[in-house]
Amino acid sequence: MRISDRRFALFLMTPAALFLAVFVAFPLFRLVADSFFKISPIAGGPRDFVGLDNYFRAFASEAFTGAGWRTLAYTLVVVSLEFALGLGMALLFTMLGRSSQIWRTVFMYPLMIAPIVAGLLWKFLMIDNFGLIGTLLHQAGILSNPNQIGWLSDPGIVLYSVAIPDIWLTTSFMCLVLFAGLQNIPGDLIEAARLDGARAPALLFRIILPLLRPVIAVALVVRGIDAARAFDTILIQTNGGPQSASETMSLLIYRTMIRFGDPGLASAMGTIYLLAMLAVAFFAVATIWRPGKDN
Amino acid sequence: MRVAERTTHDAGTPARAGAVPSVPAAVVPLRRRRGTNREGLEAGRRSTRTLLWVLLAAAMVLYGFPFLYLLFTSFKTPIDTIAVPPTILPKEWTLENYANALGRSGVPASFINSIQTAIISTVLSLVLAVPAAYGITRYKTLSGRIFIMAALVTRMVPPVAIGIPLASMMASMGLADTPIALSIAHTTISLPLSIWLMSSFFEAVPKDLEEAATVDGCSRLGALWRVVIPVVSGGIAVTAIFAFLASWNEFLFALLMTAIRSQTTPVVIANFQTQFGLDWGSMTALAAVYSIPVILLTLLLQRRIVAGMTLGAVKG
Repeated sequence: MRISDRRFALFLMTPAALFLAVFVAFPLFRLVADSFFKISPIAGGPRDFVGLDNYFRAFASEAFTGAGWRTLAYTLVVVSLEFALGLGMALLFTMLGRSSQIWRTVFMYPLMIAPIVAGLLWKFLMIDNFGLIGTLLHQAGILSNPNQIGWLSDPGIVLYSVAIPDIWLTTSFMCLVLFAGLQNIPGDLIEAARLDGARAPALLFRIILPLLRPVIAVALVVRGIDAARAFDTILIQTNGGPQSASETMSLLIYRTMIRFGDPGLASAMGTIYLLAMLAVAFFAVATIWRPGKDN
Repeated sequence: MRVAERTTHDAGTPARAGAVPSVPAAVVPLRRRRGTNREGLEAGRRSTRTLLWVLLAAAMVLYGFPFLYLLFTSFKTPIDTIAVPPTILPKEWTLENYANALGRSGVPASFINSIQTAIISTVLSLVLAVPAAYGITRYKTLSGRIFIMAALVTRMVPPVAIGIPLASMMASMGLADTPIALSIAHTTISLPLSIWLMSSFFEAVPKDLEEAATVDGCSRLGALWRVVIPVVSGGIAVTAIFAFLASWNEFLFALLMTAIRSQTTPVVIANFQTQFGLDWGSMTALAAVYSIPVILLTLLLQRRIVAGMTLGAVKG
């Protein structure tokens, strides 16, 4: 007996679908369910239905709205800097052609480093007193004293300092994806534009970037989602401090759950966070990607 | 002339059953386009090229320096490590930090845990993703389209949101603090990515290949196993590397789901900070030992990894 192709396809997908249902969908369902309860952090403790109360508490708390804005700022800074640097490197590699291949490989190395190691390394570079960056800037005569900039201790700039390891780790990814996209642009198109007298900026903004649009969309969305979830690098550098100035949403949820022992509130925050990510991702794909509209 | 004829012919009819799997034929037009592009964007003038090389050198130095500094620091004496002002190179090269880091209790065990967890997670991820991706790409059914969308949505779930419920699930299954529990958690991260990657690799395999096999009396499962899998073995290797790296470098689930017995090295590295005061020297040594094998692996397999990283994104 031969089962239909449709059944066979379903049979092939079932194990993976079951796995995702049990280990992703079910915990997610638990998360959403927990968000309607006031839960004691002690195992087996009381569990009272409170309706939307946790959501009201989340939106009323300054920690939550603050973390929301900080996550947004952090994501925008990380993604836009990575995009600018990644595009620059991708163009550089493309313009140098095949002879730069080995350097393209070397450029990839931070992608293999654990975020926790990257966070630690940059903390070591930026830390007060024995951090190398302050010292080098001082020796170069840019700073009057090595500790003039409190990279990780000044609440005004710490959010941007903790973003540096993230940018360092994944600019390579942006560069790789954009580089591959650049390889697919037909050379005659560039030649034709050059013959028509297009200069470099026009070439970049009128021809290259529009043609790369789908690739850019995927790269930005993938990296945007990851940056908005950043946890390891920030935890190891500042643990959200000083004065919560680098506390992004992942850290706030983690601390609300583990340190402050309020799983109900943390679940409500997690649910809002997830919904916001889904909304932004779909919006970004729909507006930047615009499949079909460019051809 | 003959070569040109053959390429266009092969590209036009990409699947000649019986011939060597014609995946390379599908790659040919890409290569040719790459060739024409070199004339398009590649800089020709010698002065421009020199300037570009200088720019590249500057970028490489800036980008490579942080990790080199980590390596140099790991060879300093523990006191030199936190000297004010810091120096770039060690005044005196020593392996003291390595001896301290690796001799600390729990560190060797954490390496074994990391390797174990990453291997189990990689195998699990492949076993689930390969058939699923094949089902999705080969039989473009509605359920397949819904499934790949759902798998992509899973990528957006913040690990912190499912970490705690997942940890309590594992505890109630009697798996608390085991490499199995952690590798299952890591597979929730790598599985959607693996399905995505494998789908792009299967997409490149001509359908006639297994149709010919089924005509020859192979079952569909047999055709997948004996004909298709060997053709995409390169893609499977790439996917395996990604799944392995995702687990090897993961921290949050490891922090939430492991205690003493199954702790992986990233958690141990992070614990150095609180548990033993600020032992920067040992931390840099351990971080170097943990990172260098995977960096070397990457350099060795770079071509395949680049292919995997860009395939999904560029195909969009």
